[in-house]
Amino acid sequence: MRGISPGMALILLLLVAFIVAALAAPWIAPFDPLRQSLLMRLRPPGTTVAAGMYLLGTDDLGRDLLSRVLHGARASIAVAALSVSISLAFGTLLGLLAGWFRGWVAVAIMRSVDTMLSIPAILLAVLTVAVLGPSFLNLILVLGLTRWPRYTRVAYAQTLQVATLPYIRAAEMAGAGSARILWRHILPNIAGPLMVVATSEFGLMILFEAGLSFLGLGIQPPYPSWGSIMSVGRQYVERAWWLTVFPGACLFVLVLCVNLFGDWLRDRVDPRSQGR
Amino acid sequence: MIRLLAGRLLQAAVASFGVLTIVFFVMRLSGDPTLLLVPEGASAEQVAQLRAALGFDRPLVVQYAAYLGDLLRLDLGESLVQRAPVAGIVGERIPYTLALAGGALLVALGIGIPAGILMAVHRGGVLERALAALVLAGQSLPTFWSGILLILFFGVYLGWLPTSGADSLASLIMPAIALGALTMSTFARMARISVLDELSRDYVTAARARGLSVWAAVSRHVLRNAAIPVVTIAALEIGNLLAGAVIVETVFAWPGIGQLAIQSIQARDFLVVQTVVLFVSSVYIAMNLLADLAYAAIDPRIRGRS
Amino acid sequence: MLRSWTIGLLTACALAGPALAQATKDTLIVDLPGDVATMDPHVQWDTESYSVYRNIFDNLVTRDTSGKIVPQVATAWRYTDPTTIVFDLRTDITFSDGSKLTPADVVFSIKRITNPAFRSPQLSQFDQIIAADVTGPAQVTLRTKSPYPVLLAQLVKLSIVPQAVVEKLGDQAFNQQVLGSGPYVLKSWQRGVASTLEANPGYWRGAAPFKTVTFRAVPDIATRIADVRTGRADITRGLSPDDTASLKNERNLQVLSVATERVSHLFLNPAIGPTRDKRVRQAIAHAIDRDAIIAALMLGFPKRADVMLTEAAFGWVGDVPFWPYDPARAKALVKEAGAEGAEIPFLTSPAYDRRVNEAVQQMLGEVGLKVSFVMVDQPTFLRRRQGTPEEALNMAQGRWSCACQDADGVIFPLFRTGSQWAKFSNAEFDTAVDAARVTLDEKERLTHYRRAFTILRDEVAAVPLFQDAAIYLARRELKWTPTPNEAFFVFDMKWVP
Repeated sequence: MRGISPGMALILLLLVAFIVAALAAPWIAPFDPLRQSLLMRLRPPGTTVAAGMYLLGTDDLGRDLLSRVLHGARASIAVAALSVSISLAFGTLLGLLAGWFRGWVAVAIMRSVDTMLSIPAILLAVLTVAVLGPSFLNLILVLGLTRWPRYTRVAYAQTLQVATLPYIRAAEMAGAGSARILWRHILPNIAGPLMVVATSEFGLMILFEAGLSFLGLGIQPPYPSWGSIMSVGRQYVERAWWLTVFPGACLFVLVLCVNLFGDWLRDRVDPRSQGR
Repeated sequence: MIRLLAGRLLQAAVASFGVLTIVFFVMRLSGDPTLLLVPEGASAEQVAQLRAALGFDRPLVVQYAAYLGDLLRLDLGESLVQRAPVAGIVGERIPYTLALAGGALLVALGIGIPAGILMAVHRGGVLERALAALVLAGQSLPTFWSGILLILFFGVYLGWLPTSGADSLASLIMPAIALGALTMSTFARMARISVLDELSRDYVTAARARGLSVWAAVSRHVLRNAAIPVVTIAALEIGNLLAGAVIVETVFAWPGIGQLAIQSIQARDFLVVQTVVLFVSSVYIAMNLLADLAYAAIDPRIRGRS
Repeated sequence: MLRSWTIGLLTACALAGPALAQATKDTLIVDLPGDVATMDPHVQWDTESYSVYRNIFDNLVTRDTSGKIVPQVATAWRYTDPTTIVFDLRTDITFSDGSKLTPADVVFSIKRITNPAFRSPQLSQFDQIIAADVTGPAQVTLRTKSPYPVLLAQLVKLSIVPQAVVEKLGDQAFNQQVLGSGPYVLKSWQRGVASTLEANPGYWRGAAPFKTVTFRAVPDIATRIADVRTGRADITRGLSPDDTASLKNERNLQVLSVATERVSHLFLNPAIGPTRDKRVRQAIAHAIDRDAIIAALMLGFPKRADVMLTEAAFGWVGDVPFWPYDPARAKALVKEAGAEGAEIPFLTSPAYDRRVNEAVQQMLGEVGLKVSFVMVDQPTFLRRRQGTPEEALNMAQGRWSCACQDADGVIFPLFRTGSQWAKFSNAEFDTAVDAARVTLDEKERLTHYRRAFTILRDEVAAVPLFQDAAIYLARRELKWTPTPNEAFFVFDMKWVP
């Protein structure tokens, strides 16, 4: 890897740390994130009890905030990662098809893209969650299936460009099938820009889940996500600042890192800015 | 050009129709509002009676056909909850929505574009990183939290701005900042990319070889060309600014259509939701169409391709 | 000094409006969680609409602060037989357009709301009335299907509208420009933003306490609290006990609370799954530490409820104690029923207190029952809760109010066989509540209800939790006593600087 600046190294390190923390949450969390203690509600960071120390304080049901933030990382990152994967896969496939076959296929696909994009994502999500109910799986499906048009647009435009390249034409002449060309030659060429979209979507999805939590439709209690911890905590902004500040800081840093990573990635894959 | 316009208009109509149909059926799948309206303890017959009176006992297809029929006669119908014409209910909110979207766009463009240009010019420098972090920060916090912090700080502790409402220009400031911060980074990135793109072109390189400073090059040539993609993005962001402001509107008690839409979804006030979505999607599609046409008018390559 | 001066100046010129305390208060500003759905009092009856339009109209009868039903438009009433009741009316009431309020207006109002074609969502509260007639220059007579003891309690909510105006304007236009005989007159209604009322100068009960009242729609409670703190609003409602804790040091504010007629409870479904076993239901009753929930989570605001009714309602009895908190007994019962580790699906929506749900989940977890939440939005919740026993799941939280302060409006729909809410069925219970609804004899009714509550307790059809509290935040100067029926009569308020 040529030229990773110290700043970028720090960002990558943080990203890895987040992922490790999320994966290892059950082993590194000091308490059971669901275990309540009504007599220990809203205790400030550093409160010590027989069982140990509430390093980040407790929430409104007397649960250890640190353990909840760690487990919340799992939920928030999982929702974002899975929904981004679904929409990335689905959106890319449609974009490839539209860009390759053009004609009525492109018209049909790109008009559905317009249709989907013209319904505000948050309304569509709220509507669908109202029908399906807000389970973890449904949340991922809803986010995955409302965000794909963004990828389709990029994949379509890129495929149109790449398809005119001489070696693609050559492969076509040589009798390679469409599927093979798309998979072997076009997809690798357009993967860069798609990854850039995916990184910025990743941050957005974490925030989106938080927003749905605020509307009561996110990850469901008692299980924590950063969004749900914060939407509960905002009632206590002044009385128990730690409830929003710690998950908020995690969310902020993660989204920021992912986005900066995305920008960095963009500069690497974008041939135009690479040339300079 | 005319053929292009006609074709796009037809496609736009199809897209609108698709939006309508999706929303109609998704809403109906979620049940009807009868049980929300009756008092707790109403009997099954009483509920059935109201349901029939409201027309929800008819088959879905019949309801759909009736709705399309009304639409064709330009009748948006009457809200079941408010017993008033939907056109008025949604129409009254539109000025507020436009004001908020306008304010947010001003914030997003006013900060995002200069930041993007600076980032491009100072590419790789400390300033770029600092600006990137700053611009992204606005997008990395949940509004429901940053919103209440804004209210507490500027409204309660400092007393500078009204804590809620939509009765003065001052009350627009906080919601516009909160909403604008969300799209600011989109504009900054777009501006940065387009400026970088233009800066690498031969004519700029040539001009700079003749001794023109970066800033002179930017102000003379680059900005005009870089503006096109930015305008396009602005057009696409309009949809989100119009009805995506649900949380901002809720936190700041701003009476826009986003808040109306969420409340109407929760109340299963079908026709209001459908009308809001119809409005937003029409604006979005129209903007898209304009952006496409502008593109085609400016850039002959695209005209040929379509 | 400089700082406060600057802020004062900024506040004065720019924004916060009528924030500063005045000797006489002209305008009262109320922050409500939402906008009025309809101004027409015969259409919607959600708390927001109620809070506003009931200030514009008079009712046939009303409740005093102690909850007793007292005269308003009617001066006296008597039963001529168990299904016929005669009301004598005042003759000195005029609508705000100057026209007289006549017996014909009263009859018109009743017929309007009970006309099925009018599609009033409130119909079920009044559909026991089968006839309403003018029987004298200042008299109307109502007839009910059968003897109906809750009639007066229902009439507390019947706004009297002017027949001539409604007929002239039509229903849709009347909804936009309502007009009544109450202490306030509708001045403007900016939908989704605010509605403004003005004092009715000729009001028959005297002058209203504020010249103008503005009701603003502010959905977020944190924002509403900020509004009252900065004086942008004078009063708001919908606080949770925890919200009050951080407001203790605010000397310009006061927290007003009242135990309402809402009974918070846990519904248990005896028709399906593990809760079909009475021992499991009893174990649930023993497992829940209601006092801990009230003291720790609700900060002592609500009052514990032992029967499925609150003291604010007729039919309440104080001598049917509920099962005590006894986790050891609960564990034993779960074991006896062979239900250890049984899954209890719990239906809920964002409208119900999440923390109570989660506390219950933990308490049941401790005795060996595994509660799993099924979260849906409120319309879906209502549909499923009133659907088949399978749709309603094994448990749910409820916060029931019939807005009539009578046992008939609570346990009849919740538990009577055949009611869509009831998944419980017990012939003896049915007999008791049926008998209590067709007699006007209060003593006899109480006996029936005592029987009914005893059956509900013994069969553990539900776990009553507490009498919900309504919590308001107001500027210190506002003098007002909130009532259990959550009415919001500005006429009863006063401003004392």
